Amino acid sequence: MDTADLLKQLCAVNAMTGFEHRACDSIKNFFEPYSDKSWIDCFFNVIGYRKGLSENPKKIMITAHYDQIGMIVTGFESNGFLRVSNLGGIDTKAVLASEVTVHGKEDLYGIIGAKPPHLLTEKETQKNVKLKELFIDTGLPDATLKEKVSVGDPVSIISPVVSMENGCIMGRSLDNRAGVAALIKILEQMKMIKHEHDIYVVATVQEESGLLGAITSSWDLTPDIAIVIDVCHGDMPEADKSQCFPLGKGVPVGIGPAFHRPETKVLLDVAKNERIPTQLCIEPGNPGTEAWAIQISRTGIPTLEVSIPLRYMHTGAELICIKDIEMAAALVAHYSARKAGETLNGENQ
Amino acid sequence: MINLIKELTNAYGPSGQEEVIRSLIQKRIASKVDEMYTDTLGNLIAVKKGPGKRIMLAAHMDEIGLIATFVDEKGFIRFSNSGGVSPFIAAGQRVIFRNGTIGMVCYEENLEDMKDLKMNRMYIDIGTKNREETERLVNPGDMSVFVGEALEQNNRYISKALDDRIGCAILIALIERMGSTENEIVFVFTVQEEVGLRGAGPAAYGIKPDLAIAVDVTNTGDTPDCKPLAIDLGKGPAIMVKDNRTISHPLVKDALVECAQQENIPYQMEVLNVGGNDAGAIHITAGGIPSGGVSIPCRYLHRPCEMVDKNDVENTIRLLEAFIKRP
Repeated sequence: MDTADLLKQLCAVNAMTGFEHRACDSIKNFFEPYSDKSWIDCFFNVIGYRKGLSENPKKIMITAHYDQIGMIVTGFESNGFLRVSNLGGIDTKAVLASEVTVHGKEDLYGIIGAKPPHLLTEKETQKNVKLKELFIDTGLPDATLKEKVSVGDPVSIISPVVSMENGCIMGRSLDNRAGVAALIKILEQMKMIKHEHDIYVVATVQEESGLLGAITSSWDLTPDIAIVIDVCHGDMPEADKSQCFPLGKGVPVGIGPAFHRPETKVLLDVAKNERIPTQLCIEPGNPGTEAWAIQISRTGIPTLEVSIPLRYMHTGAELICIKDIEMAAALVAHYSARKAGETLNGENQ
Repeated sequence: MINLIKELTNAYGPSGQEEVIRSLIQKRIASKVDEMYTDTLGNLIAVKKGPGKRIMLAAHMDEIGLIATFVDEKGFIRFSNSGGVSPFIAAGQRVIFRNGTIGMVCYEENLEDMKDLKMNRMYIDIGTKNREETERLVNPGDMSVFVGEALEQNNRYISKALDDRIGCAILIALIERMGSTENEIVFVFTVQEEVGLRGAGPAAYGIKPDLAIAVDVTNTGDTPDCKPLAIDLGKGPAIMVKDNRTISHPLVKDALVECAQQENIPYQMEVLNVGGNDAGAIHITAGGIPSGGVSIPCRYLHRPCEMVDKNDVENTIRLLEAFIKRP
């Protein structure tokens, strides 16, 4: 499947963190054609399984979270306004004047009201608007609004997915649908190549609100090795270069205590052999991704990470390069298709 | 109910020292459950057996308190907090130690601005004349809790430690009311919730329930000039959607809403971006246990004058009673 088309379809899915049960079936549909078996677990993680050829296969788990940041209704104001709180890391200044969907009894259109500059006090011009100051304007009469919406209903940001020059795509929720697109590309490639080990591709829930999906799925599947695919920061003016990666220049590979050193070396060797360019993504401690949870699941799981550079994270206008998704997928697919004789867990490396 | 609440809130039980409150609950429910035991950490686990789903209901026994850190020459006790105690709330309160010694919580007089009030500028006075006298009664490491006897007035219950003895009272009332059960109901009176949800996770690991509900108190938004929160005293139990720790499992949450609607029980939806309760720890235990919460709206949390509504308490019991009957 064309990666850009795939990504656009994935971005149309609404899976606010904690509310993925409304979207898990559509993710499963993407996995199904390339999996020997696919299923949804009791926390709504979506798993695509491909059986390996080996008689004693190891389990390789590859995760990418499919939840997205959003908001949640906390209360009502008169004249059709709603108060909200965050689902995941909402940037209040980035959501002002956004169009939103309130997922009540039915989907309602709304906008996040923004106080015009003329009405801001001097103090207000100097700081970001606070979460508790945000409100959604639905334009509905109060009685209708209360009938259709209740406290606890999720809200998603509306933003179009746009193809830009040079293979770039702009939209919302590319964090981490770009990773989910990579999962699907991996399944697609694994179907064409012989692989010795069992592959579990997992689209996980609630990364944005505490890594729940990583915690539950890694426990359930008990893999011998795990690879996390998530986004990292793309380069941009005014940002710290050491924390940002150029787009289209190579797959960022995680290096640091969260990541299994010997296996990371194997991954980098695979990249070299397959002529897939890489960059090193140095994480001195908690990388802020699922790797941090998976690594300490049960008795510990060797965990690796490959990233997709993304600009303007957690806004409605995230930007990625399609090539980065394809390179990440190719790298993980080749790594996972290693021969049976090659041990996992860094033994004999 | 008020007698049960009086008994429970009056029992001493800071985090890690839940023996008194635990034995009180033990005695009360021993003859009414099929099995009862205390686990390694001190969680009290009581089972009503049944062939169906295993449902865990958790309410924490522990309460916030002050722990003595140092006794000075004149016999004054310096302290630190155990759980969320505000120095502004503690100042001027009476506290009680395990041996019954009562202390007055005071602060240094040379404090120029109340904003500077921190625990390290405060002390407990038990009326002794010197270190020796104090150390005969209180030593570093000893813990004290607020004094504040329960009362019933204008259809409200008011007391210290309603967080979460009211949850314990609700579970006890449920045990006493329910007959035989299809589902297996595991009542867990947890330890050390106030110091970081320490007890509930290991308890859930041992029990391995199919799903779990934390029964705890939640804040309200109905007092003068308070922070906005769409929860009022007296408008029914709050079904937890989200707190700062957990997003409730959607199926557990939906089942609770359905029960409330079927039984005509008033309810509210709870969305908090602060705090967490035992559900947060249970949710991520042993690869994940689907969890949710039923919260009793409570004003003045972590103060000696916590206040809940009588009807909310009754309706919480009804809601849980309906929930545990679900196939």
